[in-house]
Amino acid sequence: MSSKKKINKKDIGKLLSRWSQQFTVLAPSMESGVATMAEWDGKDTSFLDWYRNTVIPPKANFFPPMEEMFSFQKDREGYHIELPLVNEHKQLIFGIRPCDAKALAILDMTFEEAYEDPYYLAKRNSAVLVGLGCTNPYDSCFCTSLGISPAESTDVDLMLTDIGDQFLIEEVTDKGKELIAKTSGLKEATETDEARAKEAKETSHNKVTRKINTEGIEDKLLACFDDEDYWEKIAAKCISCGICTFLCPTCYCFDINDELVKQQGARFRSWDSCAFPLYTKMPMENPRLEKWRRVRQRVCHKFEFYPMTFNVIACTGCGRCIRLCPVNWDITRVLESLPVKV
Amino acid sequence: MEQRLRNEAKALLEQGKVDWIIGFESGSLKFATTPLITKDKNDADRLVINPFMVNNLANFLTEVKGRVGIVAKGCDSRSIVSLMQDNKVAREDVVILGVPCRGIIDLSKVERLVGKERDELDDITREGDKVAIKVDGEKKEFLATEALFDNCLACEFPTPQEYDILLGEPSTSVVNKPAAQEKIEKLKEMTPEQRWEFWKNEFSRCIRCYACRNVCPACFCQRCFVEETEPQWVLPVPRWQDNLIFQIVRNIHVAGRCTDCGECERVCPVNIPLRSLTKEMYDLVDELFHYKAGMDKEAAPLLIAYEYAEAEDLFR
Ligand code: SF4
Ligand code: SF4
Ligand code: SF4
Ligand code: SF4
Repeated sequence: MSSKKKINKKDIGKLLSRWSQQFTVLAPSMESGVATMAEWDGKDTSFLDWYRNTVIPPKANFFPPMEEMFSFQKDREGYHIELPLVNEHKQLIFGIRPCDAKALAILDMTFEEAYEDPYYLAKRNSAVLVGLGCTNPYDSCFCTSLGISPAESTDVDLMLTDIGDQFLIEEVTDKGKELIAKTSGLKEATETDEARAKEAKETSHNKVTRKINTEGIEDKLLACFDDEDYWEKIAAKCISCGICTFLCPTCYCFDINDELVKQQGARFRSWDSCAFPLYTKMPMENPRLEKWRRVRQRVCHKFEFYPMTFNVIACTGCGRCIRLCPVNWDITRVLESLPVKV
Repeated sequence: MEQRLRNEAKALLEQGKVDWIIGFESGSLKFATTPLITKDKNDADRLVINPFMVNNLANFLTEVKGRVGIVAKGCDSRSIVSLMQDNKVAREDVVILGVPCRGIIDLSKVERLVGKERDELDDITREGDKVAIKVDGEKKEFLATEALFDNCLACEFPTPQEYDILLGEPSTSVVNKPAAQEKIEKLKEMTPEQRWEFWKNEFSRCIRCYACRNVCPACFCQRCFVEETEPQWVLPVPRWQDNLIFQIVRNIHVAGRCTDCGECERVCPVNIPLRSLTKEMYDLVDELFHYKAGMDKEAAPLLIAYEYAEAEDLFR
């Protein structure tokens, strides 16, 4: 039996300091003006009081809103390309939620299986994920409908569960096990601790009340794919902004732009969105000029095409797209109102 | 008021006076409303009027084809008129269902007042000049001026200026100009260098989701300048410099159209205080040109009208 550890909540600062010697520790932060996973400042653990989930999903720490792919210089001989320096510091993300950890596993299918994305993988392969179970899910969360439990995860290296004044620490991967072996100052968890953690997990699970029915969802979407009236109706209030895609932890579309000033320049990639009318305009035309086609694309990509390709729904029920939408467009309502009976 | 709205909306659809109704219905989250855009008279019973009607529905007017019955608060009605001034919609195609507004509740302010997030609250009610918040079974009262949006606290015309049906007695708003200007005044007290640092910092976190632009009824360009590629004015890459230029140009483009509805700031997912720019522009427009957006459907839009006397003021 793998032994479980525990740590006092008031000692989290010490733990993060210890890990900081080896990693760039990222933790929930409001420092920039919006909740995000940002470099830990070496002392502040007040996020333990306010943190429910970040607005900016942790995908941004692996696939940032923008990144320089390479820079170049032009002279008489042509272009000289310089690749960006790879940050040697490995990231340790402290406090990632189970939905967002699962989202990274979903992103791996695109960025690792479908093709190897060096920018993403350089950060992803060296990172350590320390999960923190939710105790207070949002009313917009629906992770439990997607096979995720708010305080359990197999997509992290270590998993922490709130058991009162302490966190129970579980080793999920070998990477996590190694880290624990090298971390001093942790106490052995008792059977009572483990029982408490089990109870805490159940309690959290039951707090998620928003539900969708994913049974046969692919077939249902296929059956109403051509129901233009339906899609037009549900798309009417969408304003085609980038919020629900940019801030979705599983959306990965990007755009590529070059900038050349005088003889120097750089190539950037940045988040793009299927909600935008100009999406894919660069290589060709956007085949989805009408808004309803773009709305349909977002729903079907997550619940029909991704499952067809990778056998997993590309939604983890994190609820960001519901919480942050300017018009309260709600994907759970839409999935429950599909005009088909299967 | 709500029942009257439902009856009027149903009658308009039944009598064929409009093809569409645009209003609000209850949203899927606590204290949320969501736009209801429908042709179906049976949907009229879902229409609501409450202090959570955040969206400026004028934004949807140009989306639907045909005649429209639209629910409008004071600021929204001005945005509708502004669209008429720009020939985006014809007066005869719109039936304005005016709602005398008493201010919209800013849930972010409420969250700060009670230290809980919106989904953790039991109830929020407007009672006269107070807002009552029920949390953990306990009722707490605050002045309405502490809980309404900044732009509502600065609202000059809470009752629609242009309407076909007014759904209640004209209202007076609970104005608190100093509170509404607080953020802007702080910026004015800064040195230019400090201000530059401030905005650099704010725009560093812009993700270029364009929600601010897309939610704005005054932003109706078919192709926004940020999306032009020849010439490319700014990169569509969220660098702070490009983000700032996007927002400054947007602000200039909505000058004389912006009705201070506050939507751009409300929807920004990364909390950039956009109204500090748009309201300053709104005041400048008033000061320099004695012009307020969307007050007179016959007036020429500010940016296309020119009077010789203006030159005296502007180019000294
Ligand atoms: S966040 Fe809402 S309004 Fe914006 S694209 Fe998504 S559904 Fe549409
Ligand atoms: S679709 Fe919405 S709920 Fe699902 S993972 Fe994306 S943001 Fe979260
Ligand atoms: S809404 Fe905010 S984040 Fe989005 S483009 Fe506008 S300023 Fe940037
Ligand atoms: S700029 Fe902002 S405040 Fe002004 S009309 Fe547009 S959304 Fe409303």
